[in-house]
Amino acid sequence: MRLALGLLATICALVVLTDGVDPGNFKTCEQSSFCRRSRKVQSAGSKYALIPGTLNTYADSLTADLVNKENHHQFAFKLEALVGSTFRLQIDEKQPLRPRYRVEHALKGQPQAGRIRVEQETDGEIVITSEKNKAVIHGDPFRIDFYENDVLVVSVNAKNWLYFEHLRQKAQEPTPDPSENENQQEQDAAVETPKVADAIDDPGAWEENFKSHHDSKPYGPEAVALDFSFPAAEILFGIPEHADSFVLKSTSGTDPYRLYNLDVFEYIVDSKMALYGAVPVIYGHGQQHTAGVYWQNAAETWVDIQTAETNVVSSLVNFVSGSRKTPPPAAHFMSESGIVDAFIMLGPKPMDTFRQYAALTGTHELPQLFSLAYHQSRWNYNDERDVTSVSAKFDEFNIPMDTMWLDIEYTDGKRYFTWDKFKFPNSLAMIKNLTELGRHLVVIIDPHIKRDNGYFFHQDCTERGYYIKTREGNDYEGWCWPGSASYPDFFNPVVRDYYASQYALNKFQTVTADVMLWNDMNEPSVFNGPEITAPKDLVHYGNWEHRDVHNLYGHMHLMGSFAGLQQRDPNQRPFILTRSHFAGSQRYAAIWTGDNLADWNHLQYSIKMCLTEAVAGFSFCGADVGGFFGNPDSELLERWYQTGIFLPFFRAHAHIDTKRREPWLFPERTREIIRNAVIKRYSYLPLWYTAFYELELTGEPVIRPLLAHYPQDKEAFGVDNQLLVQDRLLVRPVMQQGVSKVDVYFPAIDEKKNGDWWYDVDTYQRQERSGYVSVPVDENKIPVYQRGGSIVPKKERQRRASTLMLHDPYTLIICLDREGKASGSLYLDDEKSYEYRQGKRIHTIFNFGNGQLTNRFEGNPKYKSDAWIERIVIAGLDKVPSSASITVNGVTQQLEVLPQERSVVVRKPGVKMDVDFALKLNYQ
Amino acid sequence: MKSLEGGRMVLIPLVVALLIPNESSATQAPRPLGVSLAKAALYQPRADNSWTCLDGSRSIPFAQVNDDFCDCADGSDEPGTAACPQGKFHCLNKGHQSVDIPSSQVQDGICDCCDGSDESLVVGCTNTCHELGAAAAVQRRNEAELHKRGAERRQEMITKGKQMREEREARRQELNQRRKEQELLHTEKQQLKQNAEALESEAVEIYKEQQRELDAETAQAEQEPQQMRQEASLSFVRYDTNKDGFVEVTELMVDMNLDSDRNGVVTVEEAKYFLDERDRVDLDAFITLAWPRIKPLKMLAEGLFQPPQPEVVASEVEGQQAEATTEEAQPTPPIISEEQAELAGGEDIDADEEGEEDQYEDEEEPDVGVGEASADIEDAAPPAYDPETQRLVQQANEARNALEEVERSIREIDQEIKEIDEQEGKDYGLSQEWAVLDGQCYTFEDREYVYTLCPFDRTSQKSKNGGPETTLGRWDQWIGKPKKYSQQKYANGAACWNGPQRSAIINIKCALEPKITAVSEPNRCEYYFEFETPAACDSEAFQAETDSLHDEL
Repeated sequence: MRLALGLLATICALVVLTDGVDPGNFKTCEQSSFCRRSRKVQSAGSKYALIPGTLNTYADSLTADLVNKENHHQFAFKLEALVGSTFRLQIDEKQPLRPRYRVEHALKGQPQAGRIRVEQETDGEIVITSEKNKAVIHGDPFRIDFYENDVLVVSVNAKNWLYFEHLRQKAQEPTPDPSENENQQEQDAAVETPKVADAIDDPGAWEENFKSHHDSKPYGPEAVALDFSFPAAEILFGIPEHADSFVLKSTSGTDPYRLYNLDVFEYIVDSKMALYGAVPVIYGHGQQHTAGVYWQNAAETWVDIQTAETNVVSSLVNFVSGSRKTPPPAAHFMSESGIVDAFIMLGPKPMDTFRQYAALTGTHELPQLFSLAYHQSRWNYNDERDVTSVSAKFDEFNIPMDTMWLDIEYTDGKRYFTWDKFKFPNSLAMIKNLTELGRHLVVIIDPHIKRDNGYFFHQDCTERGYYIKTREGNDYEGWCWPGSASYPDFFNPVVRDYYASQYALNKFQTVTADVMLWNDMNEPSVFNGPEITAPKDLVHYGNWEHRDVHNLYGHMHLMGSFAGLQQRDPNQRPFILTRSHFAGSQRYAAIWTGDNLADWNHLQYSIKMCLTEAVAGFSFCGADVGGFFGNPDSELLERWYQTGIFLPFFRAHAHIDTKRREPWLFPERTREIIRNAVIKRYSYLPLWYTAFYELELTGEPVIRPLLAHYPQDKEAFGVDNQLLVQDRLLVRPVMQQGVSKVDVYFPAIDEKKNGDWWYDVDTYQRQERSGYVSVPVDENKIPVYQRGGSIVPKKERQRRASTLMLHDPYTLIICLDREGKASGSLYLDDEKSYEYRQGKRIHTIFNFGNGQLTNRFEGNPKYKSDAWIERIVIAGLDKVPSSASITVNGVTQQLEVLPQERSVVVRKPGVKMDVDFALKLNYQ
Repeated sequence: MKSLEGGRMVLIPLVVALLIPNESSATQAPRPLGVSLAKAALYQPRADNSWTCLDGSRSIPFAQVNDDFCDCADGSDEPGTAACPQGKFHCLNKGHQSVDIPSSQVQDGICDCCDGSDESLVVGCTNTCHELGAAAAVQRRNEAELHKRGAERRQEMITKGKQMREEREARRQELNQRRKEQELLHTEKQQLKQNAEALESEAVEIYKEQQRELDAETAQAEQEPQQMRQEASLSFVRYDTNKDGFVEVTELMVDMNLDSDRNGVVTVEEAKYFLDERDRVDLDAFITLAWPRIKPLKMLAEGLFQPPQPEVVASEVEGQQAEATTEEAQPTPPIISEEQAELAGGEDIDADEEGEEDQYEDEEEPDVGVGEASADIEDAAPPAYDPETQRLVQQANEARNALEEVERSIREIDQEIKEIDEQEGKDYGLSQEWAVLDGQCYTFEDREYVYTLCPFDRTSQKSKNGGPETTLGRWDQWIGKPKKYSQQKYANGAACWNGPQRSAIINIKCALEPKITAVSEPNRCEYYFEFETPAACDSEAFQAETDSLHDEL
């Protein structure tokens, strides 16, 4: 939603006006002690080596001891093979002074172990294979090279930037920390630690100040850092969330990319600054090979990127020399604490790598259909009458809308699980007004808890000790929307259970099971905290510091919420929107890009940001349509709707200080453009729904960058103002002011610049060549193309809400490729419950070839649907057929074929969705 | 389009199936579902059982009307299904009001027509048209009655309004007349004054020489206020961003120079200090009260102002010390006032404070003086004239005062004329029915605020927890559409922080008593008042409106 620093923000905004965030509120690498320390290694390198004779091999893994040759500290090294061309690499201290944090709950489960074979074992080198992959472990200096089919794709520590700060006693500290007396073994370990000259002299090593905030750092320096090179790659992408281009930029001469979940007020685009989410997965992509690394660490992390910037000089050098002179792209991950826990995914193609990552951290499960439809939000809809009348206005103007949202003002003084009794005296009646029209309500529930002794939630948390604690053991108090607030420690399973139980309808009686959830401010946002978040020396469940777990806080919040919604109604799929996220949070929630601005830049970055999120697991991504801060003019709002309909999460939202912007408040022209856009979104809901089912099934992102399907096309690598919906639609929204044409890039499928055929979805005009094409656009035009060779299911009847479309008939759009063929899938079920997991679903594959359309089912089509096929549109036929005939269960019927300008329509095939049929075009 | 008239009325059995079910009345033509009575004739098949889309674009078999597939570009072939995107479904709603609903609402499981005709029987819509129709009739009757009774009051308002206008016109005439008289008088008094002053000036000339030096001093003293006034006026214009002739607290709050405690924000309290604790000030008050407080901070900000305090304090301390050595400890305030008295050149320093003040006041209004009547010279004692000169001066003063008197009278007349002209400029309705509201104020309280509406003047809001009154807008114009006199706009209210100036829209309905029934702020800084008054009651207009709504049934 938004950060508001109250007065402070007020003044900032007054001074800087629309310039946005004040970067001075957030740390640079230079201002962060561990980043300084870790980055310093880049100049001299480090010296780590395997200790000979310590190697142990197992069926799926090997272990060895690793030593820092400068201070002789020893580490435990483990390399594990996982099913699906993935390796897991872990490095921890052999005998740490106290345990180091290992991330929990991010993986969707225990990864499935693979098998290894030791091919060669000498003093200096161990070679193992797994499936078609190979890992070569070099002993001294320590390095691991990963080969996919004998091609080197990832090299670990090739730069010798491994940096592991072992835990240590603070010098001249006479009395050790009392907590360490409890464990004699740890004491012993401490004594055994060699006392060598490995002192860390950075002034921030044992305590650190930023602005007026002090970080006590009781455990001292404990950073971990490691470099990953991608020899087969030309570009790197991933590590959301940043308001930056899809392709990562070199950080030479700039700050590294930062991963630290923060509530950034009016964030700026084209920036490596941290934002609300942190997903430490990176991909290296080249024409032949794609590989990825998931750096599993929840502490603050900075990532240096080394790439050959595509400048004239370097490309000239490459051209002249005919080979790569610059080093391969590399990433240097630097985290403040924890261990090295890295997953190496070997591809080889982009989609393989995305699937490998999804196999580790999971996917969003199939959402209820309504959540893919249009969401109408504002901070705030003021009262019950407001909500009901906005809903009615959508009907009056015949614009579909599924969900109304309530921001923080619905609560009684920002006490979540309560309502403002004056503005919302009868919430259940208001909810009924919506649900009777097939609509839903989403309410916000944030993690900060008002410190009010009369508030039951605060009482419970205080009495039971559920809050995050300060170093001294008191409940931490910060400042957020409610004023003084505390923050439940969701890392404690008991707290999560308590939290989940609050959603039960007999507890939270003022909502129904149709009311879904918005978890905001869960970075967590603390208005008076360092960098607007919680201090790092707070203490969580298990005695972990906030430093260790910060980026996971929102994730743990989501686990509580998700459990709450599932327990509330076990047969309804939960819908949650979250702002903070970590690797794996996609299993629980959709995300949006936070508090953007109503300007053309932020519109453009909505696509770039969601593409990066999608390949990092978060397909269910969107941006506030219209922009959160500021007032969009008509044109910007129109174009934002036209763009927003092609992102998976489609919600209009606005700041409380903005002017109202519901479509009917604009001139009729604008209203109609918006209405047409929303109707277009609804017509494609069967495609979106199918794509989400297939995401759950396969891990393949719903929206994709061009390189996902056109990996060889170098020109396509950096195209991030276009996106693919699965491999079926190519979308190039208009995101500039006052343009009458846009350049659309049609990607090449091979070195000869051959391309797929693409059909304009409005006119069926065909593009047959790859490369840039200038396309004229009027105010209603959204350049969208369907790939020749694909079949897209649609529903072309308009309804006021998606839930009312359940029984409506389908339209199939068949766009033929050069061979006159096409195929595509359709998924349907009850759009709401978990019964699809018991087989009550229909997943159909349609195939068209030789003038005939047939279907086949994946599994038994056990779901009973009233829907039927209303029409079939075919584009790309050489001749117009005279008629069609459809055969179902041996009975054949004639169908009319209606010729259109560049397509034909088969009129009313009328078949139900769960029957086999064959449809044949007839030529007299 | 081909003519459909005279066609043989051949109804194939299929068409019967498409007819509206449960239609018993023999007066109603058979027609496909979703078609209005008025359009029934357009849905007849030709002899060959074909039918043409109403836009003439295509001919289709009549069997394809309402067959749940959209064949016509205009959607006319599917009046009773949801198949066409832009279609309309006609709910007959017998017993209530007929309406067209969009085809998107047909067969979606929600009963939109009160007769349930938009949904299949499975949905089980109950026919509520008769109840709704009856309720609507009652409602209409009540409203008609309200309008009728309200219209009587409105008539009184019209009478009053017209009378007010006549009175205004009469008064305007009278003022014109009086102004003419006063102008004549003015000429006369001016002549008298000139004569008297000529004599006076001749008589006092001999004293002038003595006076020169003194004048030179006063000239400088006069210039300063003059300059101050100019600066103040300029600043006033700059602060008065909404150009309403007043500087308001919110208008000051944007000037960071006024952030007295340097906490980065100008609070209401801080701003109010500069307005002499008022919510707003006009130009005069600004010059006399606000500017002297603002100016030092301005100068400070511009680096021009060197606070004099340290010096003053030092000298005070010195003085105190000096006195303390000679006299026993005395409370501080008297010392200062004594010093002030000395500085002011008072002679009777031993007199008690009250006496001193009285004396000063007397001195400020000398009976006999030189120059303009209002001019006074505090420090200088008047020169001693001989009796004859004193008499001439006295006469000149009287002549000046007499002229002043006439000029004041003219100003007053002009002011009143201006007010009347302003009222004449306001639109009080076609029959002056709104005139009586001008000058009235109505209030409305919600949980947090008290709202005030003074029609044709202003709207405002005041927090119940205290704080200044905020202007939400000043009278702008009537903006109702299509009924002009159903909505008023008040614009140019106090500016919102980082936002627009506040404004208010007044929705007006008929009722017997004038009253605000609700206030809301759907947009930041845009307020909506729901206001009721008999002035909005119009029986005939209401009747005409309801009649036009109900002509189909």
